[in-house]
Amino acid sequence: MNKILLLTLILISQISHAEKNHDSHSNEESHDMSEGNHDMSKDKKIDGSKYKLNTKRYMDFIEGLTEVQIAIVDVKGMVCDFCARGITKTFYKDAAVVKVDVDLETGKIFIAYSKSKKIDFEDIKEKITKNGQTATTMQIKKL
Amino acid sequence: MGILKYTNILALCGLVFILSANVNARPISWPGGNTYMYKSDSTKTSKNYHYSPSYKYSIGVEFVNDKYFKDEYMNFRGTYLLDRRNTKKSQRNFYITGAFSGKSSNNYFYGVHGDWETRRFFSSISYINKYTKLKNYTEKELQLGVAPYLGEYGDIHTWVMMKAKRNTINDDWETYPFIKLFTGDYMLEIGNKNSHWDLHFMARF
Repeated sequence: MNKILLLTLILISQISHAEKNHDSHSNEESHDMSEGNHDMSKDKKIDGSKYKLNTKRYMDFIEGLTEVQIAIVDVKGMVCDFCARGITKTFYKDAAVVKVDVDLETGKIFIAYSKSKKIDFEDIKEKITKNGQTATTMQIKKL
Repeated sequence: MGILKYTNILALCGLVFILSANVNARPISWPGGNTYMYKSDSTKTSKNYHYSPSYKYSIGVEFVNDKYFKDEYMNFRGTYLLDRRNTKKSQRNFYITGAFSGKSSNNYFYGVHGDWETRRFFSSISYINKYTKLKNYTEKELQLGVAPYLGEYGDIHTWVMMKAKRNTINDDWETYPFIKLFTGDYMLEIGNKNSHWDLHFMARF
């Protein structure tokens, strides 16, 4: 049984290492959209180059929302509902946040801000980092 | 042996860390988060509260009814996240954990815990050294799990799990299945081993 434990540990490290390498490639391919408050509504790809947006979930999210801007943030490490709970609680503390949702399947967070809010990706990244996950890219859509 | 003793002292002085077999269910909450846990199995019943000042560590207290040694005591516990690797599809964690009892200086434990999970698969291992007035022993645990379906955020999530654990008191591996359910801030684990029920409930707030 000791051998099984050891093998499991090795397996975990190997998988983790492999995913790290895979992730590095993904990051090279993706575009960081944190430079400003872009209107991405005309973009063909809502989410950079690698991970697709779950359109149905996004449409459900924006239903009933008007006069807001939506930050779509890619997050690494958000593998379970429990992990993501802290993220939504943190963003709801911001008075400018109207609504938050998490798409576990694509690893994205949708944050609806009031239109007057100047969205700062560094601030979003910091909030997510403090919850133990990693934000990689962000895109903004205005409604 | 000297190195082991030195390591033990370092572990005790440097940490005030947590727990035992139920570290798999996120031993640290979100920053500012509180957690209550109830755990019962054939060897003990424990009620545990901990607070997480950051995602890196948690501190708390645990009230233990030790069925094996027929003892009751309170532990001051802590867990520290030594290393975390986030990828798009997975997360891997290594924790150090420990506790000391308010009842006796001879009653404490410390250990390590590691887990790796995706939305579909879960695996964890832990290795805990326990010291008591009556006997010192080691607990090892391995858990493997699979999610039969992938729930969305806010759904009821289900894990079908297998646990193998061994302590040096019985010196034998016990392997048994259990099921883990969680939704929102609540989690419930139920398992059955030799007609004994393992129950683990957790609420975060």
